[in-house]
Amino acid sequence: METLREVLDPDFLLRNSVYISLLVGLVCPLVGVYLVLRRLIFMGVALPQISSCGVAFTFSLQAWGIIPHLHEAEHALAFIGSTVFTLPTILLLSLMMRRGGGSAEGRLGTVYVLAGAWSVLLLVTNPLGEHGLLDMLKGEIISVSDADLARTAATFGTVMLVIFVFRKEFLLVSFDREMAITLKKNVAFWDALLFLLIGLAISMAVLSVGPLVTFGFLLIPPLIAHMFARNMRQFALIASSVGTLSAFAGFCIAYRLDFPVGPTDVVLLGLIYGFALLVWKGAGLMKTRLASAWPSRTV
Amino acid sequence: MIKHPVLILEHLAVGYGRRVVLPDVNLRLERGSFTGLLGANGSGKSTLLKTLLGILPPLGGRFVLEPLNGRLPVLGYMPQRESLDPIYPLSSFEIVLMAACGRVGPGRLISKEEREFARQCLAETGAAELAPKLFSQLSGGQKQRVLMARALATKPDFLLLDEPTAGIDAHATRAVMEALKRIHAQHGQTVLLVSHDLATVRQYAKEVIWLHEGKVLHGAVDELLTRDKIEELLSLELR
Repeated sequence: METLREVLDPDFLLRNSVYISLLVGLVCPLVGVYLVLRRLIFMGVALPQISSCGVAFTFSLQAWGIIPHLHEAEHALAFIGSTVFTLPTILLLSLMMRRGGGSAEGRLGTVYVLAGAWSVLLLVTNPLGEHGLLDMLKGEIISVSDADLARTAATFGTVMLVIFVFRKEFLLVSFDREMAITLKKNVAFWDALLFLLIGLAISMAVLSVGPLVTFGFLLIPPLIAHMFARNMRQFALIASSVGTLSAFAGFCIAYRLDFPVGPTDVVLLGLIYGFALLVWKGAGLMKTRLASAWPSRTV
Repeated sequence: MIKHPVLILEHLAVGYGRRVVLPDVNLRLERGSFTGLLGANGSGKSTLLKTLLGILPPLGGRFVLEPLNGRLPVLGYMPQRESLDPIYPLSSFEIVLMAACGRVGPGRLISKEEREFARQCLAETGAAELAPKLFSQLSGGQKQRVLMARALATKPDFLLLDEPTAGIDAHATRAVMEALKRIHAQHGQTVLLVSHDLATVRQYAKEVIWLHEGKVLHGAVDELLTRDKIEELLSLELR
């Protein structure tokens, strides 16, 4: 209770970190819903890695003297680097998946390991960015300025708003592409817009909480929600609620036990997933028994 | 009686990529007709249907959808149910509501009237009670009736159905086809039904298009689905 009181105090020193955690917990599952439904989970692993590689590259440009080292603009530069790497990759990968041929998992796996390897190489050759980047990769959310928070909130707010406003178009082109074509929808445009939003959300999340935590929030809350949702509204609401509540609870636990916030969040999400799976299996067993007791014919 | 065509195909070539499945299709469908599109697996039934729907580009020739009251006819499409991924937690009502996307602009809310119309369409196909149920958990026949309701909810002038009775039992086939017959009688849309089920086409369609080894035959069911004609087409001994 004491920890909760401290975290909820308006003068709490790490309040911006709490807000960032909540924003990631709220928005990443919403984006993750589409990755899960379109069976692009592997993309959810590869893209945060690409994004962090973009951040490492931007820090390296500063270290190599190609762009000036401005401490106050570091976050904005890192976001640009992350976005410049993530958006073309997501568009290219989705295009290759759409056209088929070859192994999609193989391509994503290659992107993942190459991005990881490049991040490390850029990191070890860059004394300027090493500390900040290591914190990011570990999922530390400690020093968040008001400007960083505002940028993150604006980006996530935009992503959420566009996903909400065009939800029926995104759902139609994702679920039944052929139907969308017969209804004269511009499928390529809606696909591109959706991937742009996914890319933006991932870029910003990686910058805030690192690739591991981003992937955790992209994947686990939608998987939990998928077990219980009876329609798309429930799916999005449950995923976002699980993400937000876990982010808050994870922050409190990490603060209380002096753990890094990101990994604590992911472990907590894993525990919730395990518990939800048990409940879901139990409910399924009960339903099967009831159905065998009172069978009904369906046509 | 003057007949108005709704669809004219002139030397139409269809296929995937560079692979031509049907090299030269010439036919016309009259408004309000009920036509069965028959053929063995791989004969090009679904390819032809997808070309007419604009999903696949024609590889040659052309097809014309004749305007109706000064506008292009609205196409209602019922895909094969296996083509829809069961991972989506969509209720049957949400599936039918998708049809409203053709009339409701991007970003606009779906009105109460559209929702009510979606419920009516579900009722017309005998699937009203399925509205809140998860589509992925329905039986084959139930799914087909929901998909038919969705096709109907596009307010179509021309209904194109891809194997609506494939993989479902005789009882469910009858329920689906009777619903289609009732809808056709009530609304008078042109219907093009893809099937490899000869008995179903014979019972419900008035005309038939038969695809066989790249050839296309078009005629009345009574003329084309006779024993002699089928023997000749399939080169089979039915005795």
